[in-house]
Amino acid sequence: MHEASIALSLIDVASEVLREHGAARASALTVRVGAWSSVVPEALTAAFPACAAGTPLEGARLSVVTVPGVGECPVHGRVTLDVKRGLRCPACGAPTPTLLAGDELELDEIELAEPDREDL
Amino acid sequence: MTATKPRIVTVRQHILKANDHTAAENRAAFAAAGVRAINLASSPGAGKTALLERTLRDLAGQVNMAVAVGDLATENDAARLRQHGAQAEQIVTGTICHLDAAMVQAVLPRFDLAGLEVLFLENVGNLVCPSSYDLGEAARAVLISTTEGEDKPLKYPTMFNTADVVVITKMDLADAVGFDRDLCRENIDRARPGVPVIELSSLSGAGLDAWYAFVRGQGV
Repeated sequence: MHEASIALSLIDVASEVLREHGAARASALTVRVGAWSSVVPEALTAAFPACAAGTPLEGARLSVVTVPGVGECPVHGRVTLDVKRGLRCPACGAPTPTLLAGDELELDEIELAEPDREDL
Repeated sequence: MTATKPRIVTVRQHILKANDHTAAENRAAFAAAGVRAINLASSPGAGKTALLERTLRDLAGQVNMAVAVGDLATENDAARLRQHGAQAEQIVTGTICHLDAAMVQAVLPRFDLAGLEVLFLENVGNLVCPSSYDLGEAARAVLISTTEGEDKPLKYPTMFNTADVVVITKMDLADAVGFDRDLCRENIDRARPGVPVIELSSLSGAGLDAWYAFVRGQGV
């Protein structure tokens, strides 16, 4: 269970983006988590609000998009890999040693919150 | 409450990019000093410390080695390792369940890297979280013991998927616990097709030659 550490890193990366764009706060952010990344989306979502408290990300809505594993089978081409079956083609069982997608752990998008007029 | 329309910014950045950056600095420091850094990961009790104790004893006088060892709360492992004549520095991680590149970087000044050939980075016993964190190592060894079940590679695919070598420990107990060697190797190969596998016993010494070749960077 290292999702709190991941959430803190996420907040660091997101805060840097906010600074670059001169934004004080974010209203939402989207992260992409690969099925093979060993990060549990539910745990990340649960950890995020507490980690974000007192930061520019406080109150931001976190959406997690799960990216399935993709491999290249010599016979069947690009195939979707089930973590439980390992790096094996689901159709023929051939090894698909390279993960083409599914190990992502990235901040995809941020929705910047413009200051309310009341704040100005 | 008349906020203007929000702006969407596309970022597409690795969430652990700060760790990646520090890991690259560690890797450069190891390369400059000619040190081979080996990250050891396994579940608790798989025998990381026992294997390192045996390694420090057997290769003493042949390879200059040291250990940085991560643990949640105690300094027990470093104390065990120091008994074998090598420098061992404890990284107490508190409640953190893995080593990260910054923790390793913080402990490096305590070592004379220029005088070392191999630095073992003994991770916290955990098959989940350490997989996400590059420490700047040259190679990652993932250990699985015969006593913990043949399906660990399928339960923790990411850890095994990032291994440069998989070490099956406690082979001396294989028969006693009904260890299914073929099934275990098949599962390892499912998680990481083609990864080299070393079977050994830190107690009897069986299989250690292959491990020592890996430690020296001579392949498996």
